[in-house]
Amino acid sequence: MIRVESLHKVFGPKPDEALRLLAEGRSKDEIREATGDVIGVQDVSFELKPGEFFVIMGLSGSGKSTLLRCINRLIAPTSGRVLLQTDDGEVDVAQAGPSELRRLRQEHLAMVFQRFGLLPHRTVRDNVAYGLEVQRVGRAERVRRADETLEMVGLGGWGGVLPAALSGGMQQRVGLARALATGAKVLLMDEPFSALDPLIKMQMQEEMIRLQRQLGRTIIFITHDLDEALRLGDRIAIMDDGRFVQVGAPEKIVTEPRTPYVADFVAHADPTGVITAGTVAVPPEHPRVDELRREPGARVLAHRTQADVEIEVADDGRVLGVRADGAGAELVPIDTLLAEEAPTSRYRDRAAVVRADRTLRTLLAARNLCNLPVLVVDDEERLVGFVTEREIIHAIIEKRGHNGDANGVTA
Amino acid sequence: MNALLTDAVFDPIRIPLDRWFNDFINWLTFNYRPTFQAMKVPVEALLDGVSAVLLWLPPVVFIALVAIMAWRVAGWRIGVLAGASFTLIGMVGLWGLTMVTLSMVAASVLVCLIIGLPLGILAARSDRFQAALRPVLDVMQTTPAFVYLVPVVMLFSIGTVAGVIATIIFALPPLIRLTDLGIRQVPDDVIEAAEAFGSSERQVLFKVRLPLALPTIMAGVNQTIMLALSMVVIAALIGAGGLGRPVVEGLNALRIGQAGIGGLAIVLLAIVLDRLTQAFGAGAKRG
Ligand SMILES: Nc1ncnc2c1ncn2[C@@H]1O[C@H](COP(=O)(O)OP(=O)(O)OP(=O)(O)O)[C@@H](O)[C@H]1O
Ligand SMILES: [Mg+2]
Repeated sequence: MIRVESLHKVFGPKPDEALRLLAEGRSKDEIREATGDVIGVQDVSFELKPGEFFVIMGLSGSGKSTLLRCINRLIAPTSGRVLLQTDDGEVDVAQAGPSELRRLRQEHLAMVFQRFGLLPHRTVRDNVAYGLEVQRVGRAERVRRADETLEMVGLGGWGGVLPAALSGGMQQRVGLARALATGAKVLLMDEPFSALDPLIKMQMQEEMIRLQRQLGRTIIFITHDLDEALRLGDRIAIMDDGRFVQVGAPEKIVTEPRTPYVADFVAHADPTGVITAGTVAVPPEHPRVDELRREPGARVLAHRTQADVEIEVADDGRVLGVRADGAGAELVPIDTLLAEEAPTSRYRDRAAVVRADRTLRTLLAARNLCNLPVLVVDDEERLVGFVTEREIIHAIIEKRGHNGDANGVTA
Repeated sequence: MNALLTDAVFDPIRIPLDRWFNDFINWLTFNYRPTFQAMKVPVEALLDGVSAVLLWLPPVVFIALVAIMAWRVAGWRIGVLAGASFTLIGMVGLWGLTMVTLSMVAASVLVCLIIGLPLGILAARSDRFQAALRPVLDVMQTTPAFVYLVPVVMLFSIGTVAGVIATIIFALPPLIRLTDLGIRQVPDDVIEAAEAFGSSERQVLFKVRLPLALPTIMAGVNQTIMLALSMVVIAALIGAGGLGRPVVEGLNALRIGQAGIGGLAIVLLAIVLDRLTQAFGAGAKRG
């Protein structure tokens, strides 16, 4: 959908000189000494699939806004390419002529701003219709599409008022509607929810998830807020000093921070909604799991911390049964357990089964209901591993799975 | 006597600037008088057009129109004030002269808008143009109105049109300055948003900058109108018609009453125009 290749942005009088020094491996400070230039973005490359939600995080001044503005060329990149998939093939935004650039901004790249950027002298409806008006869409069509989009963001009926009459959260809905109304496939969002109260912010995030499910736009979203990033992002890029220091799925960023900077960043993250059961579970081969005996076509295993619970696993990976206290326990999918009334004391005759892609939060719930190891299985019901308190506590404290011990940096 | 004696101290280094100035104006007049006379043509046409309409309108209709317009934009008090002012002007026998003055003000303000808005827009766009324009505007604003009259008479001869041209020069600067200021004050984030949606420079100007600058521009229009009115009496010194004439003639002949009612009509006109343009400006602010 969109591919950014080796993007650089240098602010200052001698950008070419600065790029040359950068290529020689000189530091930002040395370059500022030598040329007076500030490096805003340094060698950033990434590629997004259609419908991907890409979050960029980083400290203040790390170059997030500059990078985002290079994509629609509100700031002209010093070097590099921004390749956009359009109906007539791939177009480089960085090289487009003035009218082509305008067309790309009108039809392919919409933007949402931290401070909303609404036109105060126009009604909400005319603000939402602005992008269409610039494209010279007729009045009736404009109004129709603006009202439709307002309905979509929950502001049906507010079209006739001026933005100043709305609360901050509502104004940003207008900003969002304006970006959605043009039908642009790529949305650029620069800290769109930072100016909002925590409660409104949460609502807007949920709204965003809902809209994204419905519309499937390709989104580049900047935020300061790690929990927001973890909640929204399919992938997260962490930016430091104009560079991407790590790009990956939310869980990977939290569980395997590649540098101390990233580790600091994720140190205070709430891991329970991010880390997956598959990462937390100990596999049958792990030293913490003992093989008690073999039977024809199956093994009987036990987790060290609950050595009295026998788990029988077929050689093809299916769980055949769990025995505790000399009796067989029932295997129950977690969602069934959660739908029932909670027991007064934890089950010893029922074992929870959880899919590997469920989160740590689900494991906590499962463990709260059953005093037997939680069985984590893949899509084909084959055993991935077991989870006891030990793994859960480890995951919460260390923000890592059992097998993360060897790599990654401790926060 | 004393003053002249001290002047003699400078005799050795005395420069004949007065003669140079004289020569310059003569040279301009000799070589370019047709050009300057040609510049009068559009101003004269505009002036004639406006005054023809104003003098053709029956006073009752005019008063009703002004009162209704004032009521719509500025509320019923100003509506009553406007209607009463113009009725009073008619009752003291100055209707015709007031219409002439009003058309002079209207013509000069129109020309100021035609020249001033584009210059203000250019100044807002380019720091260099703004820097070049600033000293010119400073000179235009600090030069006393009487001083304009000399070159204006030389180049445009005397009469109402020459008076209008002097008025234009005098009243133009605040409109340019406030247009420039208003456009520069438009917040960057709104401009950025408009650009992000693919607006052309024209679209940014007409859909964002000018609408958001409108309250400030209206303040400039208000000042320009007030300055134009303040030139009415001075313009009469070089033969312009309108309300300045009874004032100047009355003063010369010591007919205080005649000068007094002329002055009163000017003040009433100023109050009504001021309230009206301020109300327009406030309306623009509310959107
Ligand atoms: N127009 C400019 N001229 C010079 N330097 C600039 C300019 N714009 C940004 N910078 C510098 O580029 C760097 C990156 O700025 P940018 O605004 O992209 O950071 P950011 O990550 O968006 O920060 P924040 O979280 O505060 O919004 C900063 O060091 C900033 O000082
Ligand atoms: Mg920023």
